[in-house]
Amino acid sequence: MAVVLLVLVMLFCSLVGPQAISLKAVVSTPANSAMPSPDYEIFVRVRVPRIILAALVGAALASAGVTFQALLRNPLADPYILGISSGAGLGVILAIISGIGWTLWGRSPVAVFAFIGALGTVWLVWGIGRITGKYHVTGLLLAGVVVNAFLSAMIMFLTSIAKSQQLHATIFWLMGNMTEEDFLVLWVGGGCIVAGIVGLFFLSPQLNVISVGYHDAKSVGIPVEKIELAAFAISAFITAVAVSLSGLIGFVGLIIPHAVRLVFGPDHRQLLPLSALAGAMFLVLADTVARTIVTPAQLPVGVITAILGGPFFLILLVKYSRKVYWLA
Amino acid sequence: MTSAIQAEHVTFGYGRDRPVLRDVGFEVQAGTFLAIAGPNGVGKSTLINILAGLLRPQSGEILLEGANLRSCSVQDIARRVAVVRQEFIPAFGFSAIETVLMARTLHYGRLGFESGTDRELARRAMELTATTEFASRTLGSLSAGERQRVFIARGLAQNTPILLLDEPTSFLDLKHQVQIYDLLKSIQTDKGTTIVAITHDINLATQYCDQTLLLYPLGSEPVEHPSYRIGKTTEILTPEEVERAFDVRVFSAIMGNERFLIPLGARAGNSNLPGRAS
Repeated sequence: MAVVLLVLVMLFCSLVGPQAISLKAVVSTPANSAMPSPDYEIFVRVRVPRIILAALVGAALASAGVTFQALLRNPLADPYILGISSGAGLGVILAIISGIGWTLWGRSPVAVFAFIGALGTVWLVWGIGRITGKYHVTGLLLAGVVVNAFLSAMIMFLTSIAKSQQLHATIFWLMGNMTEEDFLVLWVGGGCIVAGIVGLFFLSPQLNVISVGYHDAKSVGIPVEKIELAAFAISAFITAVAVSLSGLIGFVGLIIPHAVRLVFGPDHRQLLPLSALAGAMFLVLADTVARTIVTPAQLPVGVITAILGGPFFLILLVKYSRKVYWLA
Repeated sequence: MTSAIQAEHVTFGYGRDRPVLRDVGFEVQAGTFLAIAGPNGVGKSTLINILAGLLRPQSGEILLEGANLRSCSVQDIARRVAVVRQEFIPAFGFSAIETVLMARTLHYGRLGFESGTDRELARRAMELTATTEFASRTLGSLSAGERQRVFIARGLAQNTPILLLDEPTSFLDLKHQVQIYDLLKSIQTDKGTTIVAITHDINLATQYCDQTLLLYPLGSEPVEHPSYRIGKTTEILTPEEVERAFDVRVFSAIMGNERFLIPLGARAGNSNLPGRAS
């Protein structure tokens, strides 16, 4: 059901835009035609990759959000809480102000810097959290907050000494954009994200008990440390992939899990796949709004996720509040 | 009678300067209802956690049904022993039935879903604990007593020969305390489950528990006296032992075959109470 809905949303959004496209013109063009119609060109080269990217990033952020909330037993957790955002940001600004001229297989290495920064930071935070105690998630959260603050200060320092052109490039990158026309990058990133979400799904029954408590999970026979490490590594990885594909897009990883939980309940075996689909749909829609609402200009999609998502979430919250424990 | 739990020379401390358990050893026969009593901070919960394999003793061995915990996987332990902790509200709004079914996670199929057997065990556990009527309500919307029963149902659904409970009746009113103990007693007699429960209510222990393990605070006892005593409840929870372990004066009253102990406050010292007040 939800999968069909996602496909319909993606198809619909791919036809919406400043340049109206007719599906008929797209379909009637043979793939090997020497002179493809402009509709076909726009559809295949611009719209489709963009929409696939938005769906992938939305799915990755939402499922990582679900997992982080369960692992940290904290409804306020999101995929960026353990330093992924500031780590990626630092990587990006370092890449840009160092003025690197080299390329990786003909591509800009900024995304690679973002990826390394994100994973490096989250690994550091995990290590610090482990020192403070195996089942005291507070130590992990505090380490994340402090490392985030520290790296943000370094980003601010670097922005204050950066040239304005570099600054603009950094900010533009960090605000998140959905333009990725390289199909190889899309395939590799998409493969990683989909594999990660499938992996998380197989951990979801264990995540249920882990979200209740460390001792609860252990006493029903779950090797908590192993599962936690696996879930944590997978969700950090797919978040880092998403961030290096699209920059920092807030709100999706926090709000979508809650919205799905409000409507369908907290069982991760449902929550995780449904959040992935809902996150994909939500980001596809938000990105469609972002690229159409002030044409020919394009808004950063993060603006739309918060403006659209905030009220939407509040409506859900009011409607389903009786199901939530802290309002019960 | 076979032994369900054997503890041998168990020693545990939190850091070097906070020893909690010193050389504790005992054996619990299968099908016994054992109470663990003692003042706050004496290591009752620590001992439960050690018996459940959640903490490793610094030295000494735990054998559950003859198997040494040190060589058991976390799954092996969970097949032998279930733990019921004090009730609390988890971070996310799981319903009562979802919580009870979590006990079966280990037995889920490859795709991570419960089988008919799992559902049947959960259903029976909920019937026994009278939690069926609010099966689909979230834990946060239940009263503390209802929630405690849900956690007990989760322990039962794990379908283990040994059930450990950490103060199952704290925060509960008198009626619910008695209900929980009636329930535990019926589980013991019907299923032959070995039950170990921490309790602060020595009179409930006297009524329901075959045996009692009384832990004394370390350091306060004379050197020749052990840090714990275990035996038949009526022989362990005597006025003298309770007064020594808890450092409080008690008044004892015999009713029928049972002896009840009532702790006395400082003000009770001057009044002339009948019976024995040592």
